[in-house]
Amino acid sequence: MMGPMFGGGGRGSASNPGGGLPFAGVPWEMQEGVNRLLADEPEHDDTEHAFSYRPAPDEKQRVTLRLLVLRHWNLALWSGLFVAVVAVANQAGPELVSYGINHGMVHKDMTVVLTVAILYVAAVGITAISQRAMVKVTGRLAAQVMHDLRVRVFTHLQRLGLDFYTDEKAGVIMTRMTSDIENLQQLLQDGLAQFAVQGLTMVVIMAVLFTTNALLALYAVLMVLPLLVVGSLWFQSASERGYDRVRDGIANVLADLSESLHGVRVVAAHNRQARNVVHHRNVVGEYRDANNYTAQINAVYGPGTQVLSYLSQAGLLAVGGEMVLHHRLSIGGLTAFFLYMNRFMMPIQLLVQQYNVFQQGQASLVKLRTLLDTAPNVGEKAAAVELPPLEGHIRFDDVSFGYDPAQPVIEHVDLEVPAGQTVAFVGPTGAGKSTLAKLVTRFYDPTAGQVLIDGHDLRDVTIPSLRRQLGVVPQEPFLFAGTIRDNIAFARPGASDDEVWEALRAVGLDDVVTRMPSGMDTEVHERGQSLSSGERQLIALARAFMARPRVLVLDEATSNLDLASETRIEAALDLLLQGRTAILIAHRLSTAMRADRIFVIDDGRVAESGTHDELVEMGGRYAAMYRTWSSHTSVTG
Amino acid sequence: MISDLVDSTTTPSPFEPAPEPARYGAPRRGIDPDRTKSWMRRALPIVAAHKVSFATALSVSFVSLVLQVEIPQLLGTDALNKAVVPFVEQASRPVAERLPASHFEHLLLHYVVLVLILAVGAGICGYISRLFLMTTAYQIEFDLRNIIYSHLSRMSFSYYDRVQSGQLISRANSDIRSVQMYLTFGPSILVQCLVAVVAFGYMLATNVALAFVAMCAMPFIYVAGVRMRAVLFPVSWLIQSRLAEVATIVDENINGVRVVKSFAAEGQQLGQLAGAARRLRWAYVKDADVRAQFTPVVQNLSQLGLALVLLFGGWLVVHDHLQVGTILTFSFWIVMLQMPFQMLGMMIMMGQRASASAHRIYEILDEPAEVADRPGATDLVECRGDVRFRSVTFRYTPDGPPVLEGFDLHLPPGQTVALVGRTGSGKSTVARLIERFYDATEGTVLIDDHDARDLTITSLRAHVGMVLDEPFLFSVSIRDNIAYGRPDADITDIEAAARAAGADGFIRELAHGYDTIVGERGYTLSGGQRQRIAIARALLVNPPILILDDATSAIDVQVEKAIHERLETLMAGRTTLIIAHRLSTIGLADRVVLVEGGRVVADGTHAELLATTPLYAEVLAQAAELEATEAETAEAPGAGEPEAADRRGGRDS
Repeated sequence: MMGPMFGGGGRGSASNPGGGLPFAGVPWEMQEGVNRLLADEPEHDDTEHAFSYRPAPDEKQRVTLRLLVLRHWNLALWSGLFVAVVAVANQAGPELVSYGINHGMVHKDMTVVLTVAILYVAAVGITAISQRAMVKVTGRLAAQVMHDLRVRVFTHLQRLGLDFYTDEKAGVIMTRMTSDIENLQQLLQDGLAQFAVQGLTMVVIMAVLFTTNALLALYAVLMVLPLLVVGSLWFQSASERGYDRVRDGIANVLADLSESLHGVRVVAAHNRQARNVVHHRNVVGEYRDANNYTAQINAVYGPGTQVLSYLSQAGLLAVGGEMVLHHRLSIGGLTAFFLYMNRFMMPIQLLVQQYNVFQQGQASLVKLRTLLDTAPNVGEKAAAVELPPLEGHIRFDDVSFGYDPAQPVIEHVDLEVPAGQTVAFVGPTGAGKSTLAKLVTRFYDPTAGQVLIDGHDLRDVTIPSLRRQLGVVPQEPFLFAGTIRDNIAFARPGASDDEVWEALRAVGLDDVVTRMPSGMDTEVHERGQSLSSGERQLIALARAFMARPRVLVLDEATSNLDLASETRIEAALDLLLQGRTAILIAHRLSTAMRADRIFVIDDGRVAESGTHDELVEMGGRYAAMYRTWSSHTSVTG
Repeated sequence: MISDLVDSTTTPSPFEPAPEPARYGAPRRGIDPDRTKSWMRRALPIVAAHKVSFATALSVSFVSLVLQVEIPQLLGTDALNKAVVPFVEQASRPVAERLPASHFEHLLLHYVVLVLILAVGAGICGYISRLFLMTTAYQIEFDLRNIIYSHLSRMSFSYYDRVQSGQLISRANSDIRSVQMYLTFGPSILVQCLVAVVAFGYMLATNVALAFVAMCAMPFIYVAGVRMRAVLFPVSWLIQSRLAEVATIVDENINGVRVVKSFAAEGQQLGQLAGAARRLRWAYVKDADVRAQFTPVVQNLSQLGLALVLLFGGWLVVHDHLQVGTILTFSFWIVMLQMPFQMLGMMIMMGQRASASAHRIYEILDEPAEVADRPGATDLVECRGDVRFRSVTFRYTPDGPPVLEGFDLHLPPGQTVALVGRTGSGKSTVARLIERFYDATEGTVLIDDHDARDLTITSLRAHVGMVLDEPFLFSVSIRDNIAYGRPDADITDIEAAARAAGADGFIRELAHGYDTIVGERGYTLSGGQRQRIAIARALLVNPPILILDDATSAIDVQVEKAIHERLETLMAGRTTLIIAHRLSTIGLADRVVLVEGGRVVADGTHAELLATTPLYAEVLAQAAELEATEAETAEAPGAGEPEAADRRGGRDS
């Protein structure tokens, strides 16, 4: 996964960009431009990124725009400087023109005209140069802040536990990481700088107004500001609600799209396409309504402030005109005042526009903040230690647990797996077998009691040091987009080809992979059909083989396999399990029978335990299950 | 492509589930299918569908623009010159000739009121134009989203096998947004640019030479704009594609979160994302560099015109060829030009972003659906349930290995057939061809003696129920999940289906029963519970052909037995294809078909195959072995109450 990624393929190995995706990439007439652009792209370091379950001190602070920007204070400082230069140089233009007219042309002085024209060109040049620098610096600042935000939010997502991922729709999480962050781009790239430029301009002009005529300035300010403040306060609260609705709306749209894509087989099998099209339209329609609501608010606020500026000018005309009529003001004074007033209202207009961008970004930031404030269900203590290499002795000490504390799934379980033993959990669906396994891998923490490995309470050790020594093969084999090799070497990306082949041989996939045109480098992904579901399961097993864990948990990992493959794997498993602790969760008693010890889990408790023979002898639940099972095999004979 | 846009709900098929009440109208037009046209011309039909509101927005915004030009005029020239200046000027006249101050006050008031009226008018126009412009924008976005969604819903599986969801989601998100922004704000910026034309007209009328001097920078702006476009497009493309790269990583990370957590691969995933974020950052920096190169030029060149006017005009004035007032007026006009030119730069930028994005969206829309109804395809009615494969060969990709090769199979109506074979032998592919997820590469699949390709897809699928090996659930209530194929089913039918699938018991134990919302993909339920809901979902439709693709693998033996007992009655008169590895499941079938290497290698009863085909015994090796040792001791005990086992009803997967 290295080299410049480009085109529609998203991720793909450098040797096979695009990975056979139908997206052709760049239109041919633009290819040259793209090549030129990519020619000077540096190699980006794409290796493992420092990750810890414990948030760094600066990650504990609430995410605010100020903090995000201040992390790059030097860029922010430079951008502030250029912003100021642009604001001042911009104001110089009109001053120079009026000077040139009043002193040069009126007095027929060509040198003044020439000087002014040269100065004017210089001012324009300064504006252009500082503008250029400003765009460069703010662009970098925005890129940097967005990068930080992406990494930070994703880091937090990696810390969050499985409970978060089961409760939150994938599309909503996706929206936070994409749409919400992208929504800040505009604000960071232009918004903040514009905000500063216009704010500064307003201050400068205000100062000029007050020095010209304090009384009139006061009138003007009193006429404009109170209404502007009231209007802005209204806009703030109304747009906050509006943009929040918009963010929820887009999350729903993307969640619906994402589910439709991931569940596309079910959708097709049930002829739901037409109905789903209407459903999606309804979801998109709600999003449109939310957008339309913000359009209403904007349509009132934007032109409203403009009307306000005209009203203030009408007021100025009335008051100023009256003053002239009573000889308290000269015409020239009034005219000058009109001009300044105009220039005072311009930045307000632009500020109002930027305020809208700001509010949009703020709504996204609120969503991101909520996500970042979600505490992981499984955290790492400050004093957590690295788990030393494991023997693999597992003990449940009076463990109770419920996903919903009101509904316990596991109650007072005491259980011990000696190091190096293979145990099987059997029992009816929903009895809590997988839950026990999830407590061992610390996907969840028990509500009472403790789970210990080699005498360490799992809550006292660092999570990666624990999980790196555990291997789990879950029920659903999930394949990442990439090659078969990438998928198998998932836990050890640096593994050699020989090691990967060894893992493939162990699960009996070597024949299949050899027959593939690109062998181990065949591209697979989530839904791709180059592999059957059984083969996917085998890849998942090979993945666990590669990880060489001290403790292995197989959660129904062989249910999709035909019996021949299973037999073959179990031979390999026997090899793998040698000297390792293993927990098998099985419906097939044939799998369970291989275990050194069998635990019958029922109703969240250990109902029986012992070897296969002991349990059959005992004549309890296991014996009954075994009878049912073996009767099935014989009925068919 | 145009036919894509016909609202599918306007012609409800009797084979599809009842439509959801539509609260919003379908998009009226789609993109132009002609790929040779420019992206904007291809998008034109969508914009044209909203021409009334669009035209309203543009014309009203023009009016408000005129009003905005008018107000300063009224304030300055009229009010000051007529109501205030004469008063000051008359001071030099004899008192008798002076008009009273009250006269001027009235006049002043008159203008103030006039300005107020115009201001309110401008406000109202501004409100209307902005509202129409933005709602039209959102309407176009609405149209685009729905066009993409309905296009995707027509795509074949071979398409979904190749694309990554993250790519599609990103295109349906960032790319739509950038196209929509441009399509709406572009025209309004153009209206603003009209001011430039008007201003140039005024200049020409006043002084031709000076007008050309003022505008002499324009060709350079044009050249800069053209160059900027050429350089901006690749950068925009890069940004959009890297946004999609980020989206793809996130999408995979979320969907594969269990694997990531299991292998403590968080750091590695973070590394991937950080890499993508760095590449995106680089693209944005490049974008900033390009903008930095061109925006100052485009925005400030018009100002150079002013400097020249100052110089040349000044020379004219100094030599008495021109009045000072003219220069003043000219400088106002040139200032008026500034805003449009600043916006022009923005418009070029947005335009290039939109162009890159539009290409990416069209890439989705231009992909034809591979499995589509043939012209003249007929509906499958009163299906008997006869399925026949006639020397079918099938490849997932044109250059891939054949998964089925010369595959022949006949499923007579009402029969239950088990398909047995090793992992990767092609069993699931057989099921997918019956459902027409794919079409055979060679040979034919016949349903009731009709070539499946001559039947409408909806009518075919309405008669084929399928429980997939991967029990995908949607994050809606359990009731809605079961009723997925028949959303209007009443609760008694839903409960009956759930009972038949052995799911009713554990569903009732849940806190909210059938109204429980299952989390993303149903992960709040155990694998066995999900499979049972998936079976109930297929049973509710009551199809004459039922396919169970490894549908009970995660269900424990006792529960499976109970399900099978009920299925046996349900399967009566139904053609059922069972793909299974368990002997207990195979035992349900009238007939067993052994598949190996994409062909049928043996066909008969379980006993026959066991006796005649060594491969069959090998495939079933373990079970057969067990059978031999346990046959005499076997005795069928009461299966117990399977539901009782699910009392906890919690999540266990």
